[in-house]
Amino acid sequence: MNAIETTDLTRYYGVLCAVNHLTLSVNNEIFALLGPNGSGKTTTVLMLTTLLTPTEGSASVCGHDVMREGEMVRKSLSYVPQDMAVDIKLTGRENVRFFADLYGVPHAADRVDEALAVMELSDRADDLIRTYSGGMRRRLELAQALVHEPSVLFLDEPTIGLDVAARKRIWEHIRALRKKGMTIFVTTHYMDEADQFCDRVGIISRGQIAALGTPAELKARLMKDVITAKVEGMFALPDVDGIAFVGRNDDEVSFTVENGREALPLLADALKKSGCIVRSMSLREPTLDDVFLQAVGRQEEPHGFEFDKFRIMLRRRK
Amino acid sequence: MSGIVTYMKRDFLKWGRGKVAVISALVMPAAWLIFVGLALPVQFTGNYLDFITPGILVMTMLSAGLSGGALLMFDKILGFLNKFLALPTPRSSILVSKILFITGRGLIQTTIILVIALLIGATLLSPLQYGLTYFILFLFGVLISTFATTIALYLEDHDSYAAFNTMISMPLFFTSSALMPYSVMPAWLATIAHFNPLSYAIDAVRDVTVGGFPAVPIIVLLVLTGGLLAICTHVFRKVTV
Ligand SMILES: Nc1ncnc2c1ncn2[C@@H]1O[C@H](COP(=O)(O)OP(=O)(O)OP(=O)(O)O)[C@@H](O)[C@H]1O
Ligand SMILES: [Mg+2]
Repeated sequence: MNAIETTDLTRYYGVLCAVNHLTLSVNNEIFALLGPNGSGKTTTVLMLTTLLTPTEGSASVCGHDVMREGEMVRKSLSYVPQDMAVDIKLTGRENVRFFADLYGVPHAADRVDEALAVMELSDRADDLIRTYSGGMRRRLELAQALVHEPSVLFLDEPTIGLDVAARKRIWEHIRALRKKGMTIFVTTHYMDEADQFCDRVGIISRGQIAALGTPAELKARLMKDVITAKVEGMFALPDVDGIAFVGRNDDEVSFTVENGREALPLLADALKKSGCIVRSMSLREPTLDDVFLQAVGRQEEPHGFEFDKFRIMLRRRK
Repeated sequence: MSGIVTYMKRDFLKWGRGKVAVISALVMPAAWLIFVGLALPVQFTGNYLDFITPGILVMTMLSAGLSGGALLMFDKILGFLNKFLALPTPRSSILVSKILFITGRGLIQTTIILVIALLIGATLLSPLQYGLTYFILFLFGVLISTFATTIALYLEDHDSYAAFNTMISMPLFFTSSALMPYSVMPAWLATIAHFNPLSYAIDAVRDVTVGGFPAVPIIVLLVLTGGLLAICTHVFRKVTV
């Protein structure tokens, strides 16, 4: 039995398809759902945590169906939403104790101390949250989620708005939880974090999985080197043996090749011949950003096309 | 069960830490009683204070209940509700805890009114009469807070909730039997007042204070409250974001 299993999971908001036939299985790992703004990450998490009813398809957490066995699903998970919510009029300890009591954990006082210690908040535990920094509040939310030792932990953008050091700390905590056997489902749009800390990533775009695998596997789909060129003017795809086009991001075009040093001059010539001006070129190893670019191309936020609104817009223009 | 207590504890803790909120909750009803009860020149009754006190009690419960709906509204817009809904704690305990907190807070306010009414010259009642009064106020508080909390679950933001609150509370109060008996009302007002749920509670309390036992209004309130509670508990069980 996998910790998380989805089959053709789909959710519409009106005419907008936010999650489109998502089929996934996640087990005993740190799984990152990676995608740009509006790609359907939060919607997916909301359905898996029973907060939103799927339009179509099914999903289960720890073998319990999210629609039919909501209570069992909620017993096995903890969820930290994208938007922070901690009571600023209460102290850190009171905030965590509140969740311990709601989960009904035995020996609540000890568990609260433990969770606060793991998140390195012990020395500030009795201060009001009003006096906490953003990073501390985020860690407090994690402490709340961890008092009950869930089998599956859902974290919606756990590191958003944090500085580099705080992000690293949070990820180290997440890794430690994974070692204890927890399944962790995170969403993020930081590629480097997913690359560094996650066991497997799913790249989601417009509600669909565009690429799925370990970061190493995904990067191995590209060739050994990536060349990025800043170009100006008309641009046509150069047709050179051994050079594959990855994608374009504004004025930057990326290619992947087996041997970057040899391909550089060939590519420069080919680009010039096609009529554009090459401002600069760089050579590096593939990153998840390149995988992402290749898998989904440039990103725009999705829109549902509502004919009525469109008509109203047209009328206003007149 | 333990979930209800835990949620309630949170609301009481948070309320207790906002000094202004506590003071205003305690001062406002007293101010009403003193200004309306002592200042209005009225001929239709000997002791207007005894007449108006039930109205002020019920009105206090009404505004406590309606403004209490904002609690859930804030939990919702600040993202707490999302966290609570993902907990294994039964979702209905969110509703029940809000009802008990709001009604409890309202009963604290009404106690102050009862004490002040005595101090400024209202008639002392028997313990049984006070018990019945509290029971009716409790029922009415549950009715209003259930309604307000469930409405808050469905409204978009705090502005629309505040608008809903004003829209409901003023007309309800002024078309009830709070300020004057049916006999001195214009006919159209008396008709409306007879159907106003607020009047049921006020008439019941008034009946108690003059030594009666208002069986019919109590039964009506019980049925209304029970029915609404059943519907709203179901709504909370099924809620999604
Ligand atoms: N309640 C809603 N009503 C209508 N549309 C919605 C609602 N919630 C989300 N959407 C739309 O669904 C799409 C997916 O949203 P979702 O919140 O899942 O994205 P996301 O991947 O979490 O984005 P972000 O990285 O910005 O958090 C977006 O286009 C969004 O506008
Ligand atoms: Mg999101």
